[in-house]
Amino acid sequence: MHEFAITSSLVDAVLDLARKHDCRQVLEVHLRIGRLRALSPDQMKFSYDVLVKGTILEGSELHVEETPGIVHCAKCGYNKEFDSEVGDAYHFGVPPLICPTCAGFLNVEGGNDCVITKVRMLIPSGSKVEMTN
Amino acid sequence: MTKPIEVITSSEGEVFDVELELDILEENKRLALENKRRLESNHVRAIDVMGSVGSGKTSLIKAIISRLKDGFRIAVIEGDVTTTIDSELIASEGVPTVQVNTGKECHLDANLIRKALDRMPLDRLDLVFIENVGNLICPAEFPLGSDSRLVVISVTEGPYMVLKHPAMFLDAKVVAVNKVDLADAMGVKPEKLSADVAKINPGAITVPTSCRNGSGIEDVIKGLGLR
Repeated sequence: MHEFAITSSLVDAVLDLARKHDCRQVLEVHLRIGRLRALSPDQMKFSYDVLVKGTILEGSELHVEETPGIVHCAKCGYNKEFDSEVGDAYHFGVPPLICPTCAGFLNVEGGNDCVITKVRMLIPSGSKVEMTN
Repeated sequence: MTKPIEVITSSEGEVFDVELELDILEENKRLALENKRRLESNHVRAIDVMGSVGSGKTSLIKAIISRLKDGFRIAVIEGDVTTTIDSELIASEGVPTVQVNTGKECHLDANLIRKALDRMPLDRLDLVFIENVGNLICPAEFPLGSDSRLVVISVTEGPYMVLKHPAMFLDAKVVAVNKVDLADAMGVKPEKLSADVAKINPGAITVPTSCRNGSGIEDVIKGLGLR
């Protein structure tokens, strides 16, 4: 359910960006989501299609790239993707935060992203574009 | 006379890629940090309380307040989709409450908390409880600016509820396993739920509680560092 609220923030951010670039049509939006975020790409795409109706984003496609969750043990240095060795935990979406090698406490160090990485848009011919990073 | 340079234009314009790293949850994080600083500068501790619908969040807050209200100046922010039922229950303890109705949303966010804090006499408070909307998924995605999290679960939610909703427990300081007076009737072992919490978050303090007979409430208070 919260996908709708978060996708709404995404659409606002892209509209803002489009305005800055004098854009008339947005073609693609690329998003990076960490697997440890409770965000379903399918639900985000569904919300996106509903939210962009009647805007310059209508008809554009939302591409979602998922990045793995990384866990790190401060005690023994274990550092892995959580879904490679922790087994069943994958199906729970979140790893048990206990190190499989030394039983120490694991810190989550990746997989919490929710970031717009690229927006492909149509801009008027000859318009000057300022590159921002 | 030079021939004009041929310019090819598309009627639609030019395709242009903007590459960026724009965190769309940033605004909520920023507001949460603002709330946190504001609370800290007023020396107010804020505890957000999460858990399923009917797990006993309001009853537990009420039980804690009745034991602490002589030593602390307390206020409560009550989040619900609709109604002021919970605010009225809490107000019967004689502490100020602000009701935040989210309407369609399934969670509180930092902006709603900011608005609620605007209406509170922060310089005359020591402790604020923020009761989130009853939900085990969405609120985990929206930090509010509190300094610790209390998660309330109950034996009536069945034996697997912790394993099915692990995200909620990752940041918990204290987890109350509530309604233990009903554990036998439910055929659910509270110690199994506690062990599941320890697997997900070994740092969390798990306390079996019953708001009906008062057991465990003092341990929740201690776990939160309020005694």
